[in-house]
Amino acid sequence: MPVLTRTLVLLALSLYTAFAAGPFVWAAMLSLRTTTEIHLNHFAFPNPAHWEKFPDAWYNSNYATYFMNSIEVVIAAVVVLTIVGAMAAHCLARYRFRLNRVIYFILFSTIIFPPQITIIALFQILVNYGLYNSKLGLTLVYVALQLPLTIYILESFFARLPADLFDAARMDGYSDWEIFWKVSLPIALPAVATTVILNFILLWNEFLFAVVLITDEANRTLPLGIQRFIGDTQEDIGMIATGLMIAIVPVIIVYAFFSEKLIQGMTAGAVK
Amino acid sequence: MAIVRLERLTKIYERAQTPAVKDVSVEIGHGEFMVLLGPSGCGKTTTLRMIAGLESISDGTLSIDGQIVNGVPAKDRDIAMVFQSYALYPHMTVWDNLAFGLKRRSIPRDEIERRVRNVAATLGLSEFLKRKPHALSGGQRQRVALGRAIVRNPKVFLFDEPLSNLDAALRVSTRGEIAALHRRLGATMIYVTHDQVEAMTLGTRICIMSNGRVAQVGTPLDVYHNPASTFVAGFLGNPPMNLFPAVVTDDAGGRTLAIGSLKLTIPPERMAPLPPGTSVTFGIRPEHVSAHGQGRPTEVPFSCEVVQVERLGAETLVISEIADSGARLVARSGGDVALDLGDRVTLYADLSAAHVFDAAGNALRQQTETR
Repeated sequence: MPVLTRTLVLLALSLYTAFAAGPFVWAAMLSLRTTTEIHLNHFAFPNPAHWEKFPDAWYNSNYATYFMNSIEVVIAAVVVLTIVGAMAAHCLARYRFRLNRVIYFILFSTIIFPPQITIIALFQILVNYGLYNSKLGLTLVYVALQLPLTIYILESFFARLPADLFDAARMDGYSDWEIFWKVSLPIALPAVATTVILNFILLWNEFLFAVVLITDEANRTLPLGIQRFIGDTQEDIGMIATGLMIAIVPVIIVYAFFSEKLIQGMTAGAVK
Repeated sequence: MAIVRLERLTKIYERAQTPAVKDVSVEIGHGEFMVLLGPSGCGKTTTLRMIAGLESISDGTLSIDGQIVNGVPAKDRDIAMVFQSYALYPHMTVWDNLAFGLKRRSIPRDEIERRVRNVAATLGLSEFLKRKPHALSGGQRQRVALGRAIVRNPKVFLFDEPLSNLDAALRVSTRGEIAALHRRLGATMIYVTHDQVEAMTLGTRICIMSNGRVAQVGTPLDVYHNPASTFVAGFLGNPPMNLFPAVVTDDAGGRTLAIGSLKLTIPPERMAPLPPGTSVTFGIRPEHVSAHGQGRPTEVPFSCEVVQVERLGAETLVISEIADSGARLVARSGGDVALDLGDRVTLYADLSAAHVFDAAGNALRQQTETR
């Protein structure tokens, strides 16, 4: 690549990176400044850096509870989504049975509807079943919310796997159940990692269903916790930024852990 | 080793108008290398998959060593299969690929280790045991696929076009390896291919299939020299047999055929007399047509115009049009034949190697078995 072209490409990429990372860096700076300092100058560097805001948010603003609630609800939902979604996707992609495509279409078609239209019905159902204001109820709603997309992503991946692989495993003596766990799922790890990251980020930041279905302080998740710094007449911008930084840590950890799988070409060499 | 017997094996797919496989009956003996040969869509792979247990059997019976296995799952048939696409597990190392089938059968760890090492050494894979399939060449992957079948020591080996993904040179060498493997193991092997060179060089016998049915079963030379039908005659051989529509005349006691104005009297050992006016197909292989007559009494001259010359080095294919009928005649001649496009030549067909087929395409002189 000629030097001039390379320079222009690097410049364009740097500008885009700055544009994309800018808000994050700004929020990170805000998280180390007090609201008073922020009102004086919105864009100043944190000097001095108020690291004490993090333990303050964690201990004095009930963040520890919100954080653990989010961990419980989101991890449970992502685990169920991954297992049930992968099984359903494998089934729809691998087996020919009556109404296969109809079931797939019904699942897929739910993606196009805005989730908000289900909220009143869900509220009523959860109240009827005694699941309103509970972490279990929110987990089930999250599973239902993300299952179609999870199945859609994984089904397209499983459908691309060559049928010979499954036949070879059958000839090697394995049952369908064993083939799913020992062959399909390990090969599908890049796609599974994609759904894990996607679901984790979406559910970790989910606010609408949480705010409608959870009112009990003990069951609030992190997005609801951050909302508490927004009052009727004023907003504690500094603490909101600190809360956001705390909330973002698990997302970064999950992404760092699974992203390697995302870029691995696991099926390379499976078939010629 | 095992005897595999197919009796009127039929496969009809759901909502299909015609059966994919219809009434296939063939017996594959102990240690035999049977090749299922035919064009794409003839039902050979479906037949193999029914034997493997990967497809259900719609009708007929399949037995292995006398035991009917129609309802026996693939895993319990003691059969191993090598797939066209290799079908190696991409997330496992070569060692794990080889051991995967053994682990399922609860074979002790040290026995698995011994078998895998032996097979890897036999196939030259010892140094690749820790590699994953994507780090192997096409030939090495194919050997792993072979090893995965061998390591299980099954009753029957099935091969589904295992060489079709290899380049020409590798195909020849791997073909040799499979032949050597068969000699060494003496196992019953069933091999599906559409490549007649593979079929001719590997098979103890060949089962030629067409439209889901068995067209002919016999040894390679048997089916080549005595094709049971115009389909087999046209499918086997490269270039295939020359076939011309003809009519029996009333000369020479019902053994003279008219092809346009040309009259050919077929030797009695090649054709039984037929009533005059019977429509037949006359066939002659390119190697029995030459640019230079040998002076044999059974040779007949064809006046032709050369329309194409394919020089292959050791031999030359001369494609010409017969003067009065315009029909194409292919001759296989020596590599140094001095013919060129547009030349008018006389080609000589040796009728002692002639084939005659009835109007339905069946050979009128058939010597091969069709069990």
